[in-house]
Amino acid sequence: MTKFIVRRVVRGLIALVLFQSMLFALLHALPYDISSLVPGGPDARLFIRRMYGLDRPLWEQYALWLVDFVRGDLGKSYLFYPMPVSDILRANLPRTLLLFLSAAVLAYLFGIWLGKMLAWRRGGLFEVGATLGGVAAYTSFAPFLGFLMINLFGWYLRWLPYQRLVDHNVWYQTTVRVDWLLGRMVVTALLALGAGLLLRRATRRLKSRPLRSMVRMGGLALLGMGVWSWWSRSGLEPLALDVLNHLALPLGTVILLSFGETMMLMRMSMLETAREDYVLLARAVGYPERVIRDRHVARNAILPVLTRLVLSLPFILVGSLVIERVFLWRAMGNVIFTAIEYYDLPVLLGVLSVIGVLTLVAHVVLDVLYVYLDPRLRYAEGG
Amino acid sequence: MQGSDQRPLGRQHFYLQSTLARWRRFLFHWRLFRRQPFGLLGLAIIAGFGVMAVIHPLLMGTVWDRARYDPIVGFDVDLESNPSLPSTEHLLGTDNFGRDVLSQLVAGARTSFGVGIVAAIVAVTLSTFLGAAAGYLGGMADVVLMGISDVFVLLPAPIVLLIFGLLLRLDWPVVGVLYGILTGLGVQAITVKAQTLTLKVKPYIEAAQIAGGGDGHIIVAHILPGLVPIAVVHGVLTVVGAVLTESLLSFFGRASYHLSWGLMIWLGQETFRWFSFRGQWHAILPPALAIMLYCGAFYLVGRALDEVLNPRLRRR
Repeated sequence: MTKFIVRRVVRGLIALVLFQSMLFALLHALPYDISSLVPGGPDARLFIRRMYGLDRPLWEQYALWLVDFVRGDLGKSYLFYPMPVSDILRANLPRTLLLFLSAAVLAYLFGIWLGKMLAWRRGGLFEVGATLGGVAAYTSFAPFLGFLMINLFGWYLRWLPYQRLVDHNVWYQTTVRVDWLLGRMVVTALLALGAGLLLRRATRRLKSRPLRSMVRMGGLALLGMGVWSWWSRSGLEPLALDVLNHLALPLGTVILLSFGETMMLMRMSMLETAREDYVLLARAVGYPERVIRDRHVARNAILPVLTRLVLSLPFILVGSLVIERVFLWRAMGNVIFTAIEYYDLPVLLGVLSVIGVLTLVAHVVLDVLYVYLDPRLRYAEGG
Repeated sequence: MQGSDQRPLGRQHFYLQSTLARWRRFLFHWRLFRRQPFGLLGLAIIAGFGVMAVIHPLLMGTVWDRARYDPIVGFDVDLESNPSLPSTEHLLGTDNFGRDVLSQLVAGARTSFGVGIVAAIVAVTLSTFLGAAAGYLGGMADVVLMGISDVFVLLPAPIVLLIFGLLLRLDWPVVGVLYGILTGLGVQAITVKAQTLTLKVKPYIEAAQIAGGGDGHIIVAHILPGLVPIAVVHGVLTVVGAVLTESLLSFFGRASYHLSWGLMIWLGQETFRWFSFRGQWHAILPPALAIMLYCGAFYLVGRALDEVLNPRLRRR
């Protein structure tokens, strides 16, 4: 097992270095650089190129960049010169990750549930509606879906705000920073999730169904009240509600855009798993269909779908390009557009490298998890 | 007499046999596919768009006056103002340059087919040949190819294409080829390699090796046919991603000015008031719906094919 992990990590590191070299080569092959955007004669351009070290040989620039990267320094932005890239990332990445990771988790859960139902209940209006609706949402043109949501919920029904992350009227006298509040909200959500899972595990052994559901409902209500009282005592709950209110439409759009794929893959994976022999055995033993579906088939069918989720991690950046333009956010998408427009190479390299590192870590964790969970693979990899 | 049975069969006979077998296998799959209602629906929609792509030049010559209905330089001098709402003259109205929206929509289908087909061919060719080589040969070829795939999995295609947009003009063939390379060398190659590994241990491969077949011959004659199902599914699903990517690039105004549905949406924004239902919906809605229907149809066909060609899913 250790040998496998070491080998996998080394492979990931090699991929990272190759990835960065390719990006570096691509970005330095561009016919212009930032000095060509500077007004003034060749002297001014040369000055700019010297300042950023663009006049040195390419291998030297690359070596310098790589050494800095290993030490955790992503360099300084060309466009906002003395500002380090890591500061730009720290200011913009959290909200993008918050939006897309929470949307990914919700869409994943929703898609898994729908796919499970689709695989088990074939035919009928439910199958037609879920399949066509999911595929239509998945393949719709993302900006257009965003505008549709804005028109419907923002303008026609006037339920939700549709621009920016916060409302200045609510925030103008507070000293609280948005990112700090977002971090606190994430921690709260994780704690609540953990408590909910504990509740579920604790009540699983209760035999009678009505009693079990009653205990669960009561526990959830208590949990909600606890969270609410905690937040209202700190006096931050209007701000948190404002953020949630603003988050609703983009979150809904991303979920609509992404649950269809999960649904279809889960359905396929369920159908494939349902033909295994142990499912036949479970039927012969006489388990109820619901138990076979949830415990025997769905649990084993989830793994390929999870792989797909991890593989789609880099596409967070693409989603943020679209969603932030539609909902007028200032986060990663905006940073990428500006960086591409002004040849801001350190920012582009930094952003793509950080996302690359996150994705690679997810890949390695997933592979190790796979080997750990699947005994067949565990023995093949030499225990 | 036994002699007549022993007569060596001609080469022609073998070709006939194998063609017949292929035809029978195709019929078998087609019968399975016919039971997939969503796949058939998708196929019908694709056929509709295909008709649109073919019919445009014919319409230009006969029904539509070239000066008024040309998708790029057409202009109707009788209209008082542009953009105009749908009328009997212009079934979907005109955009802000006075060009017929229906004509643009029909002409845009050609670009979508072009991008999709180019991307699918490039992606499937790359992923099939490289995946088969890596899976069958193993060793160094495997290490190198998986190293490349590890890198390409990390690259989100639209962002790389935006960067390429600074380097060269993004006409639709360029978008198709680049998208094909980026997807073909990534996830698809890994999937094909995994499939090849399951084919490699089949007895008929061993038989071919014992009979003295070279690596090249075995890959081409025995491995590739087993990879056709996965390649077909990959190809169909690549079309979806390629068209969505091309539309996105056009929508951001970063692709060059070839006519496409994404470009129609980009140009339509100027006259279209996004935030009210009273705006010029007719300039935006048709291309957006067209993108959705086109990609949705390909997606449904891809998933249906996946179900038909995957032997583990048959006979429920």
